[in-house]
Amino acid sequence: MTVQANMAGASPVARRFGAVLPLLKGVAALAAVLLAVELIVILFGIRPYVLPRPSAVIEAILRTPAAYRDAIIRTGLETLMGFGAGALFGIWIGIAFSRLRFLRETVFPIFIVSQTIPVIAFGALVVMWFGNTILAKAVIVFYLTFFPVTVNALLGMRAVDEKQVQLLRSFGASEREIMRKLRFPTALPHIFVALRIASALGLAGAVVGEWFGDTTGLGVLLLQGMYAENMVAIWASILCSAVLGVAFFSAIGLAEKRIVFWGGEST
Amino acid sequence: MTPAEEPILDLRKFSKTFGEVQALDGVELTVQPGEFVTVVGPSGCGKSTLFNIVAGLEEPDAGSVMRFEGQSVHAKQLLGKVSFMPQRDLLLAWRNVIDNAILPLEIEGANRAEARAEAQRMLPEFGLAGFADKYPHELSGGMRQRVALMRTFMFKRDLMLLDEPFGALDALTRTMMQRWLLEVWQKHKRTVLFITHDVDEAIFLGDKVLVMTARPGAIKLERKVDLPRPRSADLVTAPEFISLKRELLDAIEEESMKTFGPSSH
Ligand SMILES: Nc1ncnc2c1ncn2[C@@H]1O[C@H](COP(=O)(O)OP(=O)(O)O)[C@@H](O)[C@H]1O
Ligand SMILES: [Mg+2]
Repeated sequence: MTVQANMAGASPVARRFGAVLPLLKGVAALAAVLLAVELIVILFGIRPYVLPRPSAVIEAILRTPAAYRDAIIRTGLETLMGFGAGALFGIWIGIAFSRLRFLRETVFPIFIVSQTIPVIAFGALVVMWFGNTILAKAVIVFYLTFFPVTVNALLGMRAVDEKQVQLLRSFGASEREIMRKLRFPTALPHIFVALRIASALGLAGAVVGEWFGDTTGLGVLLLQGMYAENMVAIWASILCSAVLGVAFFSAIGLAEKRIVFWGGEST
Repeated sequence: MTPAEEPILDLRKFSKTFGEVQALDGVELTVQPGEFVTVVGPSGCGKSTLFNIVAGLEEPDAGSVMRFEGQSVHAKQLLGKVSFMPQRDLLLAWRNVIDNAILPLEIEGANRAEARAEAQRMLPEFGLAGFADKYPHELSGGMRQRVALMRTFMFKRDLMLLDEPFGALDALTRTMMQRWLLEVWQKHKRTVLFITHDVDEAIFLGDKVLVMTARPGAIKLERKVDLPRPRSADLVTAPEFISLKRELLDAIEEESMKTFGPSSH
């Protein structure tokens, strides 16, 4: 009895700690890499032109924090907008595909073909259509997000146990209720796998999108560093991108732990 | 004839074919209101197929006659009309015990808070007191089965179909669950059609035992169980129990031999 009570008391704490763990891990890994690079640069006397010391990079960021902050916010916003819209649209299309065989057989192949277009080629088009706006970058991120989400949502909803579908039907459930109460929750773990992939892909898309022309953002800082042949500035932008990437990735990991708490594949 | 004597379920010339495979061939079966009918038969003889049809999930072959509560019906008219417990518990991993139990009520459109309160009151009766917030992966096999049974009971329909509900449990848990099921059944006054592959279980629980033939399934033998209720554990050593068991076992063995086919000749 007491043992049970103790376990019941400990488990929520353990769960909360488990949820923050990916974030802590990400931060610790980043810090360890920076420290290692610092040591290597000093030990081997590597010239700053080849590889600047991480401490010098951080110093550069701290010298003009506003520029980097604005860049992170801008690129972060682009990614967030495109990612959010792409995730919602991907899930929606996934549901439509799983419900309508006709769509699945006609439109889905077109989707796959569309994804073989390299994002660079597509980026040029988008900038022509949407101009040098934040929307243009969000559209690129959207394009990179919705496809993996659609595919995994569709796969997840088709991975449902037919016996469970039959059980719900025997209770008199409509297709709509079966979707809401069974197919969608079954697909959630698969959807999260796609979201994790898409978070990294989406950020890269936003940075690259900025190369087609913009005035703020991490991609812009990277380009400026390159034109000025300023190694420290380049590395400062890379570091900021890494921080943003880790933050996105762990935010999704956190959401996943909370939402898909039962651990995916049913026991 | 008074309404009470009208069978709740009446199947005549009941057949089902899947492509080349004939699963059922001419099943004749009646179930009276309040009756506990058990069905035994060799595996693969079409027991689950029979249940799937009565649950409304499959249509029988043309020419089959099915009457439910006095009305001639198509299988799909039975969707939502009988409470069906399939062979596996099929609990939803993301729902705790209470929310799994109220799933059929939610689908019926019941008020969720009221359904939860009702389920909460039923927990002790199903041996699940204190487990309301547990998730399926935190439960033992016996407990999961009880949650599935509770879900079936919460879907208040006159006819209950239980497909080998205790098939996966160990012998001790199984006998406890059998006695418990009889208590719950007597209290809730439902009609039960119960599949098992265990003859002792079939006799111990049933008012009537049906033995099915090897595939294609039909009813080979029908025996009333004239043993007093409430039934106690020592019943299994009573002479009437043993002689009935012998007769049923002989019938089942004969059918099982057919399943093994040419090798036994
Ligand atoms: N949906 C189906 N499609 C094709 N064959 C099926 C289907 N369902 C059951 N069967 C076949 O019907 C026969 C009876 O199966 P089932 O009713 O599950 O037997 P039991 O429950 O008595 O073990 C088996 O040979 C099985 O392979
Ligand atoms: Mg079966």
